[in-house]
Amino acid sequence: MTRERFISEVRACQGRLRRFLASLCGDAALADDLAQEALVRAYVSSDRFVGNFKAWVFRIAYNCFIDNLRRVPVPAASLDSPEALHVAGEAASDASFRHEELRRALTRIPEKERTAIVLHYFEDLPVKEIASIMQIPAGTVKYHLSVGRDHLKQHIRL
Amino acid sequence: MKDIEQFLRENAPETPAEGQFLIETNARLNAVEGIKKEVDGVRRRGRIALIVALAAGLALGCLITLLVLLHPAQPATDGTALTKALEALQDKKEILFGAIACLAIALGVVSVTRKRETL
Repeated sequence: MTRERFISEVRACQGRLRRFLASLCGDAALADDLAQEALVRAYVSSDRFVGNFKAWVFRIAYNCFIDNLRRVPVPAASLDSPEALHVAGEAASDASFRHEELRRALTRIPEKERTAIVLHYFEDLPVKEIASIMQIPAGTVKYHLSVGRDHLKQHIRL
Repeated sequence: MKDIEQFLRENAPETPAEGQFLIETNARLNAVEGIKKEVDGVRRRGRIALIVALAAGLALGCLITLLVLLHPAQPATDGTALTKALEALQDKKEILFGAIACLAIALGVVSVTRKRETL
């Protein structure tokens, strides 16, 4: 893949890629860093790429997100702590989320459920494509969607 | 169920504006351009080395098999266990070398396939 084609593909999907990562990590600045890291990784191995560019880049971005989680793990117990709420309050300046409660609720559910929810409801991707991005079976994606919805309901007042 | 699904779809975050993102991404891509060229070069050299090694192995294997078949060794007949073993090997040499050659070719093919998968 030539540099020009790579850039044009990136231009077409960068918005959704950044929104996907911002929804996962709840921080627009970190999401942009992760998106750039993913695009650099994709560019380095773009010669071997065949198929659906968006799904491929999303898979790399998801792996970057997971790598970042391993580097900087978020202690689960701290999510309800005053410090966590303070951090969440700071990140609330991320205007991409129309519903602050939803952003906070997403940060409180497990990462796999969050990813499945974000890809299915925000990015409008079918289960099969989500399975390919997350590298898990389609049945497991459906399970994460179902459990994720139940978990979100506990944190959101509808 | 429908409520939460509808709520999620209606409240999807907005797509962020392009802004500085593509400019910064371009700058990062420029920075890794050299690394990409280096990685591509190493991959290409690795592929060539693998193909050359496979071809050389095959040619050498065929040559040795041919030499052994054309110039059979004459084992000494002093009746020891080693001599008897060598005689037995001498009788089955075509099958033995055939099997070794097949194995070498199979290993070569498998290693090339695996290398392609990992590249």
